[in-house]
Formats: sequence, structure tokens, C-alpha cells
Amino acid sequence: MRHASKLLLTLLVLLAATALSACGSSDESTETSAAPDSTTTTTTKPSDKPESASMGGKVPTVVVREGEPVGGIAELEYDAGDQIRFEVTSDVADEVHVHGYDLSEEVKAGGTVSFDFPAEIEGIFEVELEGRAEQIAELQVNP
Amino acid sequence: MSWLPLAHALASRQDLPVPAWLFAWGASIVLIVSFFALAAGWRKPRFEKEHWRPLGAGISRALLSRPAQALCGLVGVFLLGVAVYAGLRGTEAPDRNFATTFFFVTCWLGFAFFSALLGDVFRPFNPWRAIARTAGAGFRAIAGQRPAHLAYPEALGRWPAAIGLMAVVWLEVVYGSTGGIAVGLDPATVATAALVYSAYTLAMMGLFGTEEWCQRGEIFSVYFGMFSQLGWFGVKDGQLGRRRPLSVATHWATLPGSAAVVIASIATTSFDGASEGAFKDWIESTFDWLVDRGVGLLAAQRLTDTIFMLLCFGGVALVYMLGVRGMRTIRGAPSLAKLRVGFAHTLIPIALAYLVAHYFSFFVFQEQAQFTYLLSDPLGTASTDLFGTASAGVDYKVLSANAIWYVQVGALVVGHVIGLTLAHDRALVYWPNYREASRSQYWMLAVMVAFTCFGLYLLSVSNG
Repeated sequence: MRHASKLLLTLLVLLAATALSACGSSDESTETSAAPDSTTTTTTKPSDKPESASMGGKVPTVVVREGEPVGGIAELEYDAGDQIRFEVTSDVADEVHVHGYDLSEEVKAGGTVSFDFPAEIEGIFEVELEGRAEQIAELQVNP
Repeated sequence: MSWLPLAHALASRQDLPVPAWLFAWGASIVLIVSFFALAAGWRKPRFEKEHWRPLGAGISRALLSRPAQALCGLVGVFLLGVAVYAGLRGTEAPDRNFATTFFFVTCWLGFAFFSALLGDVFRPFNPWRAIARTAGAGFRAIAGQRPAHLAYPEALGRWPAAIGLMAVVWLEVVYGSTGGIAVGLDPATVATAALVYSAYTLAMMGLFGTEEWCQRGEIFSVYFGMFSQLGWFGVKDGQLGRRRPLSVATHWATLPGSAAVVIASIATTSFDGASEGAFKDWIESTFDWLVDRGVGLLAAQRLTDTIFMLLCFGGVALVYMLGVRGMRTIRGAPSLAKLRVGFAHTLIPIALAYLVAHYFSFFVFQEQAQFTYLLSDPLGTASTDLFGTASAGVDYKVLSANAIWYVQVGALVVGHVIGLTLAHDRALVYWPNYREASRSQYWMLAVMVAFTCFGLYLLSVSNG
């Protein structure tokens, strides 16, 4: 019995170590994947300074050229309760659809549409050019 | 990008990654629970016998009567017909067409979830079984004798279902996802696949016998049947009864290929969860490597995804086989083959936990679509409103991010505990000596911890 419990203890220590290292590595991976976000121009973190968007007029803009988002799919991140504001400037006419919130705006070729609505649904949602079925932004609302 | 390519195509919504603190809590609870499982294990097998008790004769007779069976079969055939018709004649948009959601969400996920609770609820509604039984009855009436069947090759066992299961998920998440664009599997392809599968299934039922094929080859019967092993109710000698949950599972894996079915289930869910999260970078570099060598974009993506899905199968199988080999080293162990078959059923709860963790929120949201606009306007042409719900939408506020996280982590922890329970119970059967039995379970414990922590890891990886 003593032998068994010793074996068991060793095993558990090993398991705990693996779990902790897995835990650590997952932290890293979330951080590394978050890191490049801050360098892209379209990314916004309104949670840091919620008023900046409305006061400075620095509303993030997703620029669409030839039907595709410039610089890849834009990442928009908010906390629940924030006011979500962003603009889409497009050189093609299409319908901009925010999934989940189910909001749509028609954009003309060369035109700009703006969105302004409260972040009340948590999750990760697509913003897409409906006609082309092209995703242009990813809207993330954290609890 | 998308956590679930499937969700991508249908719901355009993904779950937020489980936060680090919850991941740590989940992993800690798993370890503590495992410790207690080892320390406080029971000494006599408890789940080898069904402890089957009949329900009231009235309810049994009503539910199992011929008219009730015929009605259920008719419902199954009718819904299959509606879905195929909608797929062929309706809109090309997967999220507006009845077919895609009905096959891949309502049935594929719904029957799995409810079977695990209630027992084999798919069997009465199985449209192919209903058609084949009717044809069999017709044959008997005309020819005056039972139709003759070929003997099913025993060695094949459930392998046709295991391969079929991989094929269904392949169709859904590999073939149906084209370049990360929100296209998804187009409804006409879904309907065509359903027709081809129907023809194949009916042919096989004709060759080998309806029940024989349902037991071994019919993908959906085998897949849902696997989960139904965990459920509360079952039919025995033409009577409906209650049984000790988990108890029938202990005899499920005796047919060859059963381990492959449960491994395929874990592997395909893992692949779907990891393809745009944990494995995303590897998948992209493989894709780039193929494209650099002149493979077309779509072909390269499908090839890459196929390779990774197979790798997932190999990985899950490898972890299980390591556990089995480990148990073989314990004194008094039965043969490798016996161990491999003998512990396969302990992975069913893990497979279910993976399924709940990855698709629970998706199921809740998408079923709202199924029972509102997809039901009233199955073709998605905006020209019909059968039940007055065509303009309703999905309310994404019914589940908060926190609620989803707790269900996900809770499912993995509960699946882990049930898996350990079944494994401990089986070890007591193979090793009469309690000390050797519990020592053999260090290995299965390592296997379970590996699967549970990997599941938690998949949920926690940012998919951004």
C-alpha cells in the first residue's frame, strides 16, 4: 500500500506539473496572438479609454479595397456595456452586415457607413460584406 | 477567424475563449477529482449489470406498439424528404436553408445529446430502418418467406461506421469550408449526399439485413447508439425499462471497430475545435507548403485539412494505445487486444464531453433558427411563412459568455469523472487483485487527464 501511494504521489506531481505548464503555455499563446493586434491600425481597445472614440472622433475605420479589407480582417474588441462605434469605407457597393446584432447598412462605391450601437451581446461575431460573403471585421464583445 | 468552420457558415458567431483563470480552475479540479478517484475507489464492479427494471406495462405498450413505431418511422421519412427537397429546391445560402441546419445541427448534435440522456431515441425515427422494414414486410407478404441475407463479415464490425463518421464530419468541416470564406456546405450538396447515403444504406440493409446493418454499418445508428449507451432508458424483450446509467456501455465495444468509432468522434471534434485555434499555424504552414509546390488553393486547403483530421485520429488513437500498453505491464493483465476492446467504452463520456463543450452554445442558438424561420420558410425564399415565424431571429442573449464557459468546463470535468468511473469498474473485472486493478488505472487516469486537459486547452486558445 505504501508503495502504491508513493507511486501515486509521483504521478500526481507529474500531472500537476504538466497541467501547470499547459496552463502557462495557453496564457502565452493568448498573449502572442493578442500582440500583433495592437499594431494593426484598425484595432481598438475601447476598454482602456472608453470616451476616446466619441471625444477625439477616432472611430476605427475598416477600409475595403476591391472588396477586401485592407490589412486583413479588422479586429474590433469591446467590453459588454460599451458603445460600439466603427466605420466602413468601401470602394465597392455592398451591404455591410454585423452578424449576431443583425445590423445592416448599405454602402455605396466610394462611400462610408458608420455603426453606433451598445455592446449587449457577448461573443465573437462576423462583420461581412453580405453580397460578396467576404468577412471584413471580427467583432469581439467580452463580458 | 472561426472557432468552428460550421458555426462560421451557419451562425457567423463564435464562443469567446475560456479565460486563463477558469482554465486553471478546471485543470485543478480535474487533478483533485482524479486523486480522489484513485484513493476512494470501490472494490467490486458496479456497472457490469444493467439492473434493468420495466416501466409500466401501459406506457411500454403504447410507445412500442406497431402504430407508434409506424408513426415515428413516417415522421423520420417525412423529415428526411423535406430536408432533401429544401436542399435541392431552396436557397443556396446554408444559413437560410432548412437542410443544412436540420442535418448537421438538429440531428447530428441533437440526437447525440438526447441519446446520451434518454437512450436510443434515434432508432424509432431512423428513416432508412423504417423504409427497409416496410420493404421487408412487403417482401414477406408477397413471397411468403423472409428475405435471405448475406452473412456480414464479422471482422468488419463497426469499421464501416467509423469510416463513415469521419466522412460525415469531413463533408461538413473540410469539404464545406472553402478558404475561410463564410460559404459553408451548400444545401444542394447536403441533399445530394443525403440521397447517395440513403441509396447506399438501403442497399446495405438489403444485403445484410436491417438490424445487422444498423448495429454495425449505419453511421447514424452506430454513432447515436454509442451515446445512447450512457442513457437512462432502454428496450429489452419488447419492453421499455429503466436501467442503471452507464451500465450497458460496458458491453458496447465488443464488436470490432468500436474503439475506432469513439476515437473518430473525439478526433473529429478535436480537429474542428483546433483547426482555427490551436493547430491554426501548423495548418497554415502546411497549406503554404502545398501551395508553393503548385497545388491549387482549394485542393491545398482540403488536402491540409484532411491530413490534419487524420492526424487527429492518429493522435487520439496513440494516446489510447499508450494507456492500453501501459496497463499491459501490470501483473495479471489480459491480452492487448482484450484491453483495447475492454476499455474503449470508457472514452464515450469523453467524446460526449467534447461534443457538449464545442457545440453546446451553437446548438442552442441554431435550434432557435431551426424552430423559427427555418421551419416557417424551409426553402429560404422569403415567399412562405408556414407558422408565422419566418421573420423571427436568433436571440444571442439567451446565453452569456460566462454561462457558456461554465457549461464547457463543467462538461469536460463531468465527462472525465464518468470516464474514470467506467475505467475503474472495468479494471476490477480484469484484475481480481484490487491493488493491481488500481495500479493499472494510473494509466487510464493519465489518458483521461490528457484528453480532458487537451479539451480545456482547445477551449482556452484564442482563435483570433
